[in-house]
Amino acid sequence: MKKAIVYLNQFFGQIGGESSADHLPEIKEGGVGPALELDRQLQHAQITHTVVCGDNYISENKEDAVTQILKLLSDKEFDIFISGPAFKAGRYGLACGAVNKAVHDTFSVPVLTSMHTENPGVDMYKQDLIIFSGGESVMSMVEDLRKLAAYADKILTDQPLGTAEEEGYHVRGNRHQIWREDKVCAADRVVDMLLKKIHDQPFESELPIPEMDRVPIAPPVSDLTTARIAVLTSGGVVPVNNPDHIQSASATRWGKYSIEGMQRLEAGVFKTIHGGYDPTAINADPNRCLPIDALRAYETEGKIGHLYDFFYSTVGTGVTQSDAGRMGREIVADLLSAGIDAVIMTST
Amino acid sequence: MKFRIGNFIVQEIRFGTNLSYHKGLLTIDKSKALDIVYEDEHITQADIFLVRPGDDVRLVPVKDAFEPRIKLDGTPLFPGVTGHLAQCGRGNTHALKGCSVVVVGQQWGGYQDGLIDMGGEGAKYTYFSQLHNIALVADTDETFEHKALQKKNRALRRAGMRLAEYIGSSVKSMAPEELEEYEMVCVPDRITSLPNIALVLQVQSQMEEPGYNTLCYGWDCNHIVPTLINPNEILDGAMVSGSFMPSSSKWSTYDFQNFPLIKRLYNEHGKTLNFIGVILSNLNVASEQKERSVLFVVNMAKTLGIEAAIVAEEGYGNPDSDFTSCIVALEDAGIKTVGVTNECTGKDGRSQPLVYLHEKANAIVSCGNVSELIELPPAGIVLGNLQALVRDGMSGGWSDDELLGPSVRPDGSIIMENNAMFCGDQVVGWSTKTIKEF
Repeated sequence: MKKAIVYLNQFFGQIGGESSADHLPEIKEGGVGPALELDRQLQHAQITHTVVCGDNYISENKEDAVTQILKLLSDKEFDIFISGPAFKAGRYGLACGAVNKAVHDTFSVPVLTSMHTENPGVDMYKQDLIIFSGGESVMSMVEDLRKLAAYADKILTDQPLGTAEEEGYHVRGNRHQIWREDKVCAADRVVDMLLKKIHDQPFESELPIPEMDRVPIAPPVSDLTTARIAVLTSGGVVPVNNPDHIQSASATRWGKYSIEGMQRLEAGVFKTIHGGYDPTAINADPNRCLPIDALRAYETEGKIGHLYDFFYSTVGTGVTQSDAGRMGREIVADLLSAGIDAVIMTST
Repeated sequence: MKFRIGNFIVQEIRFGTNLSYHKGLLTIDKSKALDIVYEDEHITQADIFLVRPGDDVRLVPVKDAFEPRIKLDGTPLFPGVTGHLAQCGRGNTHALKGCSVVVVGQQWGGYQDGLIDMGGEGAKYTYFSQLHNIALVADTDETFEHKALQKKNRALRRAGMRLAEYIGSSVKSMAPEELEEYEMVCVPDRITSLPNIALVLQVQSQMEEPGYNTLCYGWDCNHIVPTLINPNEILDGAMVSGSFMPSSSKWSTYDFQNFPLIKRLYNEHGKTLNFIGVILSNLNVASEQKERSVLFVVNMAKTLGIEAAIVAEEGYGNPDSDFTSCIVALEDAGIKTVGVTNECTGKDGRSQPLVYLHEKANAIVSCGNVSELIELPPAGIVLGNLQALVRDGMSGGWSDDELLGPSVRPDGSIIMENNAMFCGDQVVGWSTKTIKEF
C-alpha cells in the first residue's frame, strides 16, 4: 500500500471556522474530515497524515507557512500529496496551490488538488499543477474526492493517464499528440467540421485559441547618443566552429561571442547554423542577420553611444516557450551586469 | 474532364528475372531496376531492398516516396520533372496500390529527411510503415551538399521517380482490379443548391534558391501566385514534393498522388457540398509575398463564388503566419473556413501551438506535435545510415543533449522529436493523430 498525505484548511481540518483562520501549520496522524472519505475512496494508498493550516495565516505569511509545512513533511515518507478540495474558497484555493507547488518542487512526488473554475487558485497555479475541476461548495465533496482518488490510484499503479477532459482537470496549456481511439482520419474530421460550420451547428476546434501572453513594450531609450547597445539574434549566427554546439532547431543553448575591434562580421569567420531558413544570404554576409557593420557606422557617427563588445545568439526555430524564456532571462542577467541600456534583437 | 485510376492491389513484392505483376504479386528484376536508377550519372552507388509491414527494419534518412504508376497515354508520370510537359489528370493512369518507392540516402541526411520504422512501436508514426516498400538506398556525387544542412537531394529524388514509373509500367497493358473515377465538370455547369467549397493547399515554398521547393508541373511554387488547379491534376503527378521543412510536416509525392482530403471532398460532391476545386497557394517567406498570396486566394475564392473553404498548411513555424492570415482573410470575406495543420507545442507541450493565432481561426483540425519526444528500441536492420540522425542536422535529431544524450545510442536505440518521422503528421488527411490537453 502506497502512502498519501493530505492538506486541509482549519475548517475542513476540524480546528474551527473563521475565528481559527490564524491557526499555525500542524500535522496530524491519519486522516481528518474529508481525508477520511478520501482514504475510503483510495484503493491503492493509505492516508498516513493530514497537514492543517489556517487560511489567513498562510495567505498573510505564505513563505513562512510553506517553509513550516515543508519542515513538517521532511521526515515523512509519502508517494502522493493531495490538497483540498477547495471549491470556490479563494484563500483556501491559493493555499492549496502554493503548498502543492512547494511540495512537488521539494519532494518530487505527484500533487493533486481540486477547485471550482472561478477559484483564483486555478488561474494562479493551473500551469504548474493538475487542478481537478471541482464543485462550488461542500455539496460536491464526495464527487470531487472521487475524481481525485481515481486519478491518484491511476498514478500510483502506473496506469495510462487520460486527457484533461477525460480525467476532469483544468486545461493548462500542456498539449501533446495522441492517436484517436475511433481512428477517424483528418480528412474526415476536416470535412465534417466544415459541414457543421456551414450549417451553423456546434463543432469543437482541435486547437482552441489560448489567451495571449502579451509582453509590454519597453519605454523608449532617453538618449541614444550615450546608450550602451547590445545586439542579439535568434538567427543562429555563430563563429564557424559553433563552439557552444547550439542546435540547428529546438535549441536549448545560447552563445556570447566577441566582436571587439571588428568593423563587421566576416563571412567564413561567422555563419548561421539555423536550420529553418535559407542560409545562403547570411553565410555570404553575416551582417545581414546581425548588422554589426551598420551599428559600427552609427557608433562612429555618434548616433549610438557604444556597441557592446559581445553579441548573443541562439536558434529560434522550434524552441519551446519555456526554453526561450529561460534563455532570455539568462541573457538579460548578463546584459544587466554589463550595464547595457538597450538591445536590438534580430530575427530571420 | 474524366480521370480514371486503374488500381492493382500489391500483396507481395519479390525479386525475379522479369518485371511483372500477377494477382497481387509484383516481381522486380533488380538489375534492370538498378539500370534505371543509374541512368543518371550522378548516382554513384545504389541498391534496392524490399521491406514489408512489420519487418524489423529502420529506414533513414528518407528523402521522398512515390507510388509506382504508369500513364496509359505515354506521357511522363511527373510532367515537367521527369519529362516533357503534358496535361495531368485526364484519361487513364494505372497504379500499384499498397506499395511505394521509398528513397533513402545511403550516407547523407539533412534537415528535411525523415525516418520510417517498418515494425514495432515506431511503425505507428508514419503512413509508410503500412506499405510494401521498394527501398532505393543510394549515394550521389553531389559533394557540394553532402555536408550542407539543407539538401536538394535532386539525383536521389529523381531516381525514385524514374523507378516508380518503371515499376508502374508492369501493369500498363493489364486490366485493373478496381477503378477510381474522378470528374470535374467545368464550373458553370456545376450550379447546385449545395454550398460551393474550395480546398486551399499551402505547399512548402520557403527556400529562395531553386531546387528545394514543391514543384507544380516542374515549376518552383515559390514563384507562383495562387492559382486554380483541378484536383485530378494533383492526383495524377502534377505535384512533386520539395526538399525543405522538417520531415513530419512534409507532404511526400506519394501523399500528393493519393491526397485523402481531395478524395473525401469528391465523395461529398453532389451530396453535401459542391467541390469547386483546389486553390494552390504557397508558403513564401517575405511579408509582401505572403500578403500577395492571401490576396489572390481570397479574390479567387470570391470570384468562384466559394462559400466555405479548407486551408491545409505544409509546415510549421514561419508558415503558420500564412496559414492563420489566410483563414482570417477568408473569414473576413464571409467564407466559412476550417484549417488543418500540425502544432509545435514543444517537447514539454507548453509552447504556443502556432506562431500566429487569431480568434477567427476558430475551426482547426490538428494532426500532431512536431516536437513530441519519441524513444524507440534498436531495429534489427537499418537501411541507410542511422548516424545521419545525429550528424547531419536532421530536424528532430541531435548530436548531444545535456538531459537526453545523443539521438542515437551505442546500441542503436534512438530518442528524437516527431519532427524526424517521415511525413508523420499526415496533414493531407491520413492522420488519426490529434492534440489533447494533459
